Amino acid sequence: MATTAWLAWAAMVMAVALTVTNPFYLAVVVLGVILVAVLAPKDAAGAAGLRVMAFFGASVLLFAALVAVINGSYGEHELFRVPSLRVPEWLGGLRLGGPVTAEQLVNAAIRGLAILAIVLAFATVNAAVTPQRLLRAAPAALFHAALVATIGLTLLPATIEDSRRIREAQALRGGGTGLRQLPGLAVPVVLGGLERSLRLAEAMEARGFAPPPSPPAWARAAALLSAPLGLAGGLCWLYLGDARWVGALLGGVAVVLFGAWLTAASRRRVGNRLRPERLTGSERAAVAFAAAIAALAIFGRAPGWLELGYSPFAGLAWPPFAPLEAGFVLSVVWPSLFLAGRWKPAPRGLPAAGVAEVGRP
Amino acid sequence: MIARWERVTYTYPGGAVPALADVTLSLEAGELVLVAGPSGGGKSTLLRTLNGLVPQFHGGTLQGRLRVCGLDPARTPTRTMATRVGMVFQEPEAQAIAETVEEEIAFGLELHAVPGDEARRRIEAVLEMLGIGHLRVRRLSTLSGGERQRVALAAVLALQPQLLALDEPTSQLDPEGAEQFVEAVLDLHQRSGLTVLIAEHRRERIQAIASRVLHVDGGRVVSLGPREAGSLPGAPALPRLGIRLGLYPPPLTLEEARAALAGRSVALVPAKEAPSPGAELLRAAGVTVSYGECVALAGVSLGLREGELVALLGRNGAGKTTLLRSLVGLARLESGEIRFRGAPAPAGVRERSAFAALLPQNPAYVLSRRTLAEELRASLEARGLPVGHVEHVAARWRLDGLLGRHPYDLSVGQQQRAALAVMLVHEPPVWLLDEPTRGADHATKEWLAGVLRDHASRGGAAIVATHDVEFAARWAARAIVLDGGRVVFDGPAREAFGSTGPYPTAVAQIIPGALLPEEVAAA
Repeated sequence: MATTAWLAWAAMVMAVALTVTNPFYLAVVVLGVILVAVLAPKDAAGAAGLRVMAFFGASVLLFAALVAVINGSYGEHELFRVPSLRVPEWLGGLRLGGPVTAEQLVNAAIRGLAILAIVLAFATVNAAVTPQRLLRAAPAALFHAALVATIGLTLLPATIEDSRRIREAQALRGGGTGLRQLPGLAVPVVLGGLERSLRLAEAMEARGFAPPPSPPAWARAAALLSAPLGLAGGLCWLYLGDARWVGALLGGVAVVLFGAWLTAASRRRVGNRLRPERLTGSERAAVAFAAAIAALAIFGRAPGWLELGYSPFAGLAWPPFAPLEAGFVLSVVWPSLFLAGRWKPAPRGLPAAGVAEVGRP
Repeated sequence: MIARWERVTYTYPGGAVPALADVTLSLEAGELVLVAGPSGGGKSTLLRTLNGLVPQFHGGTLQGRLRVCGLDPARTPTRTMATRVGMVFQEPEAQAIAETVEEEIAFGLELHAVPGDEARRRIEAVLEMLGIGHLRVRRLSTLSGGERQRVALAAVLALQPQLLALDEPTSQLDPEGAEQFVEAVLDLHQRSGLTVLIAEHRRERIQAIASRVLHVDGGRVVSLGPREAGSLPGAPALPRLGIRLGLYPPPLTLEEARAALAGRSVALVPAKEAPSPGAELLRAAGVTVSYGECVALAGVSLGLREGELVALLGRNGAGKTTLLRSLVGLARLESGEIRFRGAPAPAGVRERSAFAALLPQNPAYVLSRRTLAEELRASLEARGLPVGHVEHVAARWRLDGLLGRHPYDLSVGQQQRAALAVMLVHEPPVWLLDEPTRGADHATKEWLAGVLRDHASRGGAAIVATHDVEFAARWAARAIVLDGGRVVFDGPAREAFGSTGPYPTAVAQIIPGALLPEEVAAA
């Protein structure tokens, strides 16, 4: 699946997970993401095993519950009490600890599920898309920044390997691995990493890599202006309830300025791209679908089309589970349509070879 | 004329002595030139003047006149020079950034904005030219070192340079990978007539075809004919043999040597007897080690006795490094046992290395302090020895005068000696050295052979993993060959390196009974 499609999927999962607060629907989202994670290729060096992901997910849920207990809570159904502490008035006057309610724990679990879905989605993309592919999907203006990041990631495995070897060498030398030995462990890792990057830089320069000429002054000024304007626009939108158009206007100007810089800087890019990533028809449709789902999740609640919300504080009622909404959140599994065809079970032992042997005389 | 140096002198930033001193030299189009000389002598610097990395990337001061492909590389942007001079460096890992072979080759073309159709045509051409079409969609991380170096070569060839500068491109490769790479270069040179300048310690194949040998030492360059170069230190065995026997011109290939020796009788100089081995120091019994599902060692048994020097041979991945690691306790044994002097070996790496010390492949992993003196002091301390011995240790490993230097500022050979000193400061009876001559020059090898023989004569023993047969033939009394994690040969070194053994030396292939040129005399 194309890089852009993966990124669209991750963004969609994020939008859905952040807007849905019904734990049943969130559970569907998490399960859907897990399905995609299982089917997704694990090409990149950052691919973590599913076991690691599961462990991480459990820790996220536990941590959310722990924070809920410390934060103190509201609600009717008190479960137990922990020693309470009131933060001084001048620090905000928060209450820590105190009664722990079922509502608060349920709320924490819901937040935890949402975070879990997002983390799993990004872990999946990280495993499926190598930094080099991300580099190719980056807009031309960001090519050099992305290239530097890619090189850093390329050197990372070598650096990890270095630190392992150096620890071994220290032990072979008869030295300890305590705090006093830290310089002995850290210095060669850092120096080795620096040397390796210098040699890579030299090799790249010998092949004609050179930083691009910087874009014209007006474009740099536009980029510089766009950030504070965008920030101001956002603040106006949030706080000027009756004059939101000011915020929208400022935001719009910021987007135009940033776009101008992007275009100018992209034109300055030295070289060309032999194989820019092209989306197939179905991938284009998938990206559009992802955008539609995300938009529906965000804007579909006001007109009452979709009932995705749930609040445990309203009497701790059983959350609803309706076919329309369940179907809606189940749509996060769409990448599996692309992936199902290429899925092969991971070899365990040598079962495949064993099967092949059976038929032979 | 494709390149010309006129009284070129170059000093690195902060350098006390020039790295190139008053070099005057010219290079004709279509030449294949071997650049030889000790490490740190200026070979790399000379090559880097061709594409302007020296002085543009490295800084420093360059005097004199330099023309390469009609341009002055010191003043032309390196980007422009990249399309005239292609350069391949030592380490396969530190010169590629793309994910697959095809993308890596395309990357350079993209940087130079070569239009799509033309770029695709060139990618096809270089893949075909270097015989790596089958690797096209492979990920670089899955390739062997030799394959990666050929990809690096393909990537620079795609820019259609007029001159290739190769800076010890095979020093990090195993013999097979190195041979493949050298063959690819020679083939390329013969088919396309591309001008090639190659710095290389493995000279045999290249010197036989090279039009000239540039000997670079102390920043000075001497240009010699390939046959004259037979008398240089570190020359391949065959021309040395030729000079010893008074053959003129000295032979460069096995065929030439056979022809020159036809009808001549030679006398064999009996080699010195190795000291007869004493009591058993170390025994490995049925050692099996696996990494995941890959079995690295499958029931290896061997013993090592006082005074024994063992060359551990075998292809990459045969299990040499794993065997050495398992002896010092760095690899977890699935089954089998290690015994030191008849008793079970202690569990910890630290305790084991007091008796059997391992020098890992890369000396830089071992060195970490600010000065060499601190380095030696830390090692003495770790072994519970008086730290006052620093001077004594330095003298023992020929490091006197370098004690105040930063370990990373030492030359390759000096670094190797420093790493040996650090690991063997307590003079353990068993030395385990993992490819100590990788990228080492002639002088370092010669020195190490002497140190090993000296160690054995005092009752010590060593197992040295190496690919360098000519080096091992100088000191080894016994050879062990691993293949697929099993011992496939364990016997006298003279048998292993002899004319009928698994690893015959160049001399053994023409004069049965002799291994080295020094063992032969004119009758």
